[in-house]
Amino acid sequence: MGKPAVILVGADKGGVGKTTVSRTLLDYFASRKISTRAFDTECPRGTLKRFHPVITDVVDVTSVPDQMKIFDTVESSNAQVTLIDIRAGLMSPTLAALRDIGFIELTKRGQLTFAVFHILGPSIASLDEIAETSKFLLDARYFLVKNFINNTTFFDWDEQTYDSYFNKIPHAVGLTVPKLSEMACEQVELSSVPFATFIADKKANGEPAGNSFVLRGYVRHWLNSVFAEYDRVHLTDIVDSKDAVIKPRVKVAELSPQRANS
Amino acid sequence: MSTTTAGRCHAGAAPYSEPPQQRRPAPIYVVCSPNRQVGKTMLARLLTEHYMADARPVTAFDLADEGPGLADFLPHHVTISNIRDMRGQIRFFDGLIETADVPKIIDLSHREFANFFTIADKIGLFEEARRRSIEPLILFLIDPTPVAAKAYSLLRRRFAGTSLLPVRNLTVAKGLPYGASFPHASRLVVSLEISVLGPAARALVERQTFSFLDLGKQHTPHSDMSARTRAELDAWFRRARFQFREIELSLIRQQVLTTQL
Repeated sequence: MGKPAVILVGADKGGVGKTTVSRTLLDYFASRKISTRAFDTECPRGTLKRFHPVITDVVDVTSVPDQMKIFDTVESSNAQVTLIDIRAGLMSPTLAALRDIGFIELTKRGQLTFAVFHILGPSIASLDEIAETSKFLLDARYFLVKNFINNTTFFDWDEQTYDSYFNKIPHAVGLTVPKLSEMACEQVELSSVPFATFIADKKANGEPAGNSFVLRGYVRHWLNSVFAEYDRVHLTDIVDSKDAVIKPRVKVAELSPQRANS
Repeated sequence: MSTTTAGRCHAGAAPYSEPPQQRRPAPIYVVCSPNRQVGKTMLARLLTEHYMADARPVTAFDLADEGPGLADFLPHHVTISNIRDMRGQIRFFDGLIETADVPKIIDLSHREFANFFTIADKIGLFEEARRRSIEPLILFLIDPTPVAAKAYSLLRRRFAGTSLLPVRNLTVAKGLPYGASFPHASRLVVSLEISVLGPAARALVERQTFSFLDLGKQHTPHSDMSARTRAELDAWFRRARFQFREIELSLIRQQVLTTQL
């Protein structure tokens, strides 16, 4: 196994699709046979846990015991990737805490890979977040995600302002999550299963779900677009594993139900 | 599965007739062209009545947004569908691949041409159909316009693994060479041609009350049909049916070959 990776998915605003992006990341790594574990900081509700119950723990990231549970086990756990879905408003405090406990120092020494997926909202406040967040992340892989899944529009962004922020963070990589049909999105929500399981027409217990072929087709098409974005930025490279890099790029359509359920 | 449209409401249209004695491959025929007035509805009618003539089950869909469409000619056997919204798409496309043993015929309006194939591409309709042992056949009515040539070329590229058959309706495509703009793109070694009808026969088939099945009856509802016109139409329908059987036989051959492999 290569160097372990920790991925933080967050934003300081709610409702921008952090958990959705986390779900696509978990599906993506599963399709590339990269082992993952996830922590859902939406304590005690745990939205991410609803979709990926087997690999997800709900934690309070502000409590020291739970911080120990996550960060003290990064290297000892069997997972190549530790994904943390950060609750709205906790992005900057979490990064500050990681700096204080010396976690960011570890990434500087190259002992593990640290990546942040910063989900952007449509307002100028989001750009201020970028400036706030980026100062912690000079040694991290920093992805700025424009999430269109819930029909977010970015029209009120002034392009010049936007560019000036991006120029301040030269190592940031932009990612776009396209829009998914509302009805398809709703159906996956109701099914409470990973996207890949929905596409494979399975319930959480592995039984046939009888989902609409049309909706499954739209979700597959959308998820393939998201995966193409992750491939574009060579996301598998973050685990620093030769195995992961040479693995064939599996499309969602090629996933067997068993693999989709795993 | 059925959708209603004002004035053209045929809710509950069901597959025609009783189950057949012998199961054959059940294709999905997509009768299409990006242009109007090239004979799409006529070909869809001929195909539907071909199955009905043998008392074989068939399900036909009218995706036309202007009359007269397939549902106007065969009101009791055709479902009017709408794929412009998600609910309509679910009803139509899910229904299309639900049963593998009944042939489906889609009369695709020129206005829905791009939308239909964009959705089909996105949701993987043809791949899913083949996975369920349903063979999709795109029957493309060719004509001399650049729009048709471009659309054909696009379909050929986008749906490379799907049978795309150029159909030459001699009324609009007489003398048009196949090879240059409309190369055959199917594993099925068949071609389709609709010959020209005389004016009297043509006027008759354009009546919404006309059915090719009436030709076999001693007393047709069309008292003004001369013996000559009846003979012409009968021969015309037989010629069309011969070609449809060739397609079906070709599908069976293909199925046997695939099974042997």
